[in-house]
Amino acid sequence: MAEEDVIISKRISSSWSRWPIFGVLVLVALTIVYPLYFVIISSFRPNADYLQDPFGLPGVWSLENYASLINTYGVGQAFMNSMFVSITSVVCILILASLAGYALAKLPVPGKKQMTAIFVSVMLIPGPVLIIPIYLMLARLGLVNTFAGLILVYIATGLPFATFFLTLSFRGIPDEVIEAARIDGAGFFRIMWSIIVPMGSSGLATLAVLQFLGAWNELIFAFIVVTDPSMRLLTPTLASIGERFLTDQPLVSAGLFITASIPLLLLLFASKYIMQGLQVGVSR
Amino acid sequence: MGVASAAPTGGGPRRPGSFRRRDRIIGLLAVLPAFLVVVGFMAFPVAFALYISFTRTNGLTYEWRWFENYIALFNDPIVLQVFLNNITFLISVPLVIFIAVLVSVLLFERVRGWKFFRVIFFLPNVLSVAVIGLMFRNAFGFNGAVNQALGLFGVEPIQFFTNGTTAIAIIILAIVWSGFGIQSLLLLSGLTSINPAVFEAAAIDGAGWWKRLWYITLPNIRRVLGFVFIINVIYTFSALFGFVFVMTAGGPGFDTTTIDYLVYLRAFSATNLGSGAALAVLIFIFIGVLTVIQNRVFALGKED
Repeated sequence: MAEEDVIISKRISSSWSRWPIFGVLVLVALTIVYPLYFVIISSFRPNADYLQDPFGLPGVWSLENYASLINTYGVGQAFMNSMFVSITSVVCILILASLAGYALAKLPVPGKKQMTAIFVSVMLIPGPVLIIPIYLMLARLGLVNTFAGLILVYIATGLPFATFFLTLSFRGIPDEVIEAARIDGAGFFRIMWSIIVPMGSSGLATLAVLQFLGAWNELIFAFIVVTDPSMRLLTPTLASIGERFLTDQPLVSAGLFITASIPLLLLLFASKYIMQGLQVGVSR
Repeated sequence: MGVASAAPTGGGPRRPGSFRRRDRIIGLLAVLPAFLVVVGFMAFPVAFALYISFTRTNGLTYEWRWFENYIALFNDPIVLQVFLNNITFLISVPLVIFIAVLVSVLLFERVRGWKFFRVIFFLPNVLSVAVIGLMFRNAFGFNGAVNQALGLFGVEPIQFFTNGTTAIAIIILAIVWSGFGIQSLLLLSGLTSINPAVFEAAAIDGAGWWKRLWYITLPNIRRVLGFVFIINVIYTFSALFGFVFVMTAGGPGFDTTTIDYLVYLRAFSATNLGSGAALAVLIFIFIGVLTVIQNRVFALGKED
């Protein structure tokens, strides 16, 4: 990524002679930004106010949509559920994938090639294939309608990419550093904790953000595995609100903004990490 | 991309035998938890799905029925209709690629603020399909922004989602909106890997902007273009569940149902899970064939 930045930066001319190109890009960017702006603005106004003048600024600013989503429709609880499931999944993925990534990158694991091949090839499994067997397996294990079941699914679907990604990024850590620590008598966990984690922190951060987004945004398994209303995650809750309140656009908009808020914050503050993972992230 | 180069080659540096043996055991123990989870909950389910597809089952008892489910699928008019729907959704592929190429070529020009644009174009990628789908359903709903805007010109509100054609058009619009940004960034990374000397030489030869685009830029990124193309096709056949689920629930009738949504319908509202599993296996085979074709095409691209 850094290399690419330099190449493009060099080509930026100081003049504004390229303004038509700039103009087209602004127009394209507006097609992305305007719908979101519209959703956010609408979410802060009552329905009656919206219907009067949908494209203007609100005549009345209010938080009533948010209040009723949280107090009446359980969106606050769903938000916390999603947060819990996503964070737990990400932590488990990071631990398991760090261990596996370090071993595959730096240790003489028997059957390394075959295992790497399996990690890579399961990434190609299309989602629809997993729905029925995983549901039946969770049912057999008594994990339907539990967070543990859903977290297990997120860990399993996130791990192949996570392991692949961390193997690649840990391979960049010089062998000499690890060797030196070994000679000083550092054991496996000591090396993991005081060399691999700090030196691979950028890769770990990228992975954490990507996996969090994946879990937070997931819809199918969240909908299928957890059906108890008080345990519902945010995306299925949002989907059912969208279905029920077709004519109350501001209310649904508030739900959209609540669901989108965390990803948007991450993009705002961690765009560096997200962009780093972009190339590898799409290749799966 | 990168998958082939991913296989780790060789281990750490050589060490005395006992040390090395200890390392092998520790290494194995470190990989094992992740490996077991992946085998148990990714690889095994595929085998299980294959088994289910040959049975008649409600999830509790399994009756082996050979190819009964597959034969039923091939004779099912709904499956054919749904497959044709997926073919219709392929319209989104050239649209996404066209916009992505346009945006990437423009980003590659000397434009101020390109880094900022990059983040904006990436934005749809961090949002859930539930959010994007509902946003579009809202915008084209009865009280939605589009109907409100049409109302300003005295047009009566349109029921976009009660008509299969307009409903599909709106889902395609959502696919294009959510996909073009990330793909333009992928293409941009392809563009930056072209040797700048090629452009300079062309400019000296007096080739105009369009000529350079057509004869140099696009041919040089054809492998990335091929990759993006296949990814889009695979996406169209296996990942539209979210949009269909929140926007139309497959309706009206089966007009907007896609194959992956049909797997869900067969799994959770029909009595025989075998039928859904068979359909899922067919998707898997179809996508496997596409992936093989993709690898062949890339291999050919490398040679010339």
